[in-house]
Amino acid sequence: MRVADVMRRLVPPTSYVLLLFFGTGVWLTMSPFAMQTQSSGQHWSASTINNVALGGVLMVVSLLGILGFMGFALRDLLREAQEKQLVEQAAHEAAPVHS
Amino acid sequence: MSVTRPSPGKYVCGMVASLAIFLAGGWLILAPFALGYQPYGADWVSQTTNDFVVGICVAAVALVSFVLFLFALLGSLRASGVIAARPRSQAVAVETAPHAGPAPAVASTQSDLDRTLATLAQALAADLSMRRQGSGDTQTQTNPLTEQHMTNRRDA
Repeated sequence: MRVADVMRRLVPPTSYVLLLFFGTGVWLTMSPFAMQTQSSGQHWSASTINNVALGGVLMVVSLLGILGFMGFALRDLLREAQEKQLVEQAAHEAAPVHS
Repeated sequence: MSVTRPSPGKYVCGMVASLAIFLAGGWLILAPFALGYQPYGADWVSQTTNDFVVGICVAAVALVSFVLFLFALLGSLRASGVIAARPRSQAVAVETAPHAGPAPAVASTQSDLDRTLATLAQALAADLSMRRQGSGDTQTQTNPLTEQHMTNRRDA
């Protein structure tokens, strides 16, 4: 299996959506400061706390989703490689009997 | 006939993340009104507009993502044989003649064939291991069985 195929299995197009959510989380976290609705040096307002907390949740959940998906995909790849190795080994053992 | 081991973990992981993000998007839409930083009846403040627009986008994309992961999960289960695949020719036959009898018979024959092949493969594997444990001069007789066993394993 080529590296491109492995990467495609580890990070399929559906995982890009989770990357998009990570970016959204970054924007949510910085939006009160970027839009200047939160004054510098003042106590955080309810909207700032909500946006920063929710942005953090989005970042954490999307990262966990991406890493979890990659972990499970990697486990599947390793299993397949092991099974393929076993089959090849069995075929190799059977070959001298045939010749 | 290609049957793979089911691996739903990665898809379930994606579905759980999508569902949590969908709920977060829903809360983003409601938050300006729930937390009271959007006065009732007044024009929307910039923070409300931002939260509302981002919340709708997040919820919609999370829903699409959830559906995509769900379809991927169903495809994986179908490929591994957990869910019975519906052959296209059979589906067309069912659509054109919904009361026709042969379609279920074809499915039943297919599953019978699968079962018979699985039983045959198990018997061959048991026979092969018994012959391997036996004396060395019987090795030449196991050769066709070995080949058939390997073919079955590759098919499975």
